[in-house]
Amino acid sequence: MSGFKRDRQGNTKRHGDGPKATAKPAVRNAFTPMFEGLRDELDAHHDRRARLWKSSRDVTALSKKIIFSLQRVRNIENELPPNIQGEVDSRLAEVSQLLAVMAPEIQGINRYRYARSLDCLEELVEALTFYHYLKTQTLISHKALTPIVDDLVRQGVAASEDAVMESPEAPESAKESEALTIGLTDEDYLYGVFDLTGEMMRFATTSSALTGKLAGGDTEDGRNIVQDMHELGSFFEMLPYRGGPKSIWEKKLEVTRQSVQKVEKLGYDLKVRGSERPKGWIPDFNSTEQEAED
Amino acid sequence: MAPAALIDPALFDQLKTNIEQDTEIRKEIERLVDDLSQNVSYTQGLLSRIHSTPRAKYSTLLPQVEEGIRKEIESVAALGKFASGHPYFKYNYKWTRPMQDAISTVALCAWLGGLGTETKPGEVGRLLKLEEVGELFGVPVNLKDKDAFHITIEEYLLGLITIVDELSRLAMNSVTLGDNEMAVQISGFIKDLHAGFQVLNLKNDILRKRADSIKYSVKKVEDVVYDLSLRNLLPAKAEATKMEE
Repeated sequence: MSGFKRDRQGNTKRHGDGPKATAKPAVRNAFTPMFEGLRDELDAHHDRRARLWKSSRDVTALSKKIIFSLQRVRNIENELPPNIQGEVDSRLAEVSQLLAVMAPEIQGINRYRYARSLDCLEELVEALTFYHYLKTQTLISHKALTPIVDDLVRQGVAASEDAVMESPEAPESAKESEALTIGLTDEDYLYGVFDLTGEMMRFATTSSALTGKLAGGDTEDGRNIVQDMHELGSFFEMLPYRGGPKSIWEKKLEVTRQSVQKVEKLGYDLKVRGSERPKGWIPDFNSTEQEAED
Repeated sequence: MAPAALIDPALFDQLKTNIEQDTEIRKEIERLVDDLSQNVSYTQGLLSRIHSTPRAKYSTLLPQVEEGIRKEIESVAALGKFASGHPYFKYNYKWTRPMQDAISTVALCAWLGGLGTETKPGEVGRLLKLEEVGELFGVPVNLKDKDAFHITIEEYLLGLITIVDELSRLAMNSVTLGDNEMAVQISGFIKDLHAGFQVLNLKNDILRKRADSIKYSVKKVEDVVYDLSLRNLLPAKAEATKMEE
């Protein structure tokens, strides 16, 4: 007879006999159905935001890794070192898969609804503009960057279709992917380019420390990175203040000003003392750091 | 070799134009929202008279409120027309507060028995659904497939929370005015609405913060009903339902 709970009189307690379990039916009233409908809508919204937030964090992390790889480049030239190019390509492939998952959720009205969960785009712009700068020494325009990002989405969709060929959903997503777009906003672009100035400053510092000359300016009349930083600085100073949270704009502008000044100090140092340093001379601490980095 | 310029001048011009346009849009929205806010706060002012108006005189007060609401509807129409030309959620934050307040004036007026139509005569205790609020303002609600002006679920729910607060005040004041039945009616309504809000899975946001306040309104009105029942002041009908519980 073991295995049963008994009451004080020794009678076996059967399920449903004792005090009622907590699962009493929820109180319903005239408004309950309406609130249940609203609940489902709100749940869908919150779930979507959580999903986007998660993917966004991953894209941000990957973008930062791309930037780290690019910081190992020493010169502005059309061909990146193959190992770095390889790292960038594989990370971009990962980014494109994440973007392909995110894109369907941010079409149309949802683009701005979830704009605050899409911080990653700013980071991605930073990585892509930096990549473009290192190869061409120009700032890629918003208009030219938008199709590049949308192309990443298409590649990601294609990659996921290859992986799940048999999935019944595949044909449907193929149809949708035609119109899928991330729709990079001016904010994404501008805030990303603001951060680009920081990366350019870092690049100018390491590359000049290691090569003994300023990046760019290989020919007599060519621009070097000091001039580029000045141009970017003036670019932001001249733009009218953008609507939205003013503090972000001002903070980023202030950081940009500091970066510009760091690079111009660099230019001055090289001009004045650079000639005293034998060409190709590399300080020891930098070379060990370089090895550790690799 | 490196191109002559880092930045294509066309890029700067484009961004500058976009920013200037954006600023113009914001200014126009601000103007339209100011307009709406003025009409809303006038209507809210009129509605504050319910605390000193006995139910018998609602028939003179409510038409005035409805007139205020008509002005709100005009403002919303103008705002909606302009805002629909731009991404809705980009600028939504600019009008969401006055919009919530506008919704609350409409919901309160309907609850008090105003805004009756031929098919649905006004009666005390009526809760306007989200769709009905949208119809009244002549704008869509909870729009998902199109990027245009609409009323969001959050705005509607926040508007409801505002009237809960207002009604809990009215419960007390109606007793002062000798209308004990009103207090009982409000108590039932607020309890039902409270149960409704508990159905929602709220995140840690403004909606949750405001929804948490409903329980204080419930308690406030419960206390009023308790005071009445202690002194045998509950209306006969309410007494009967009270006994059943």
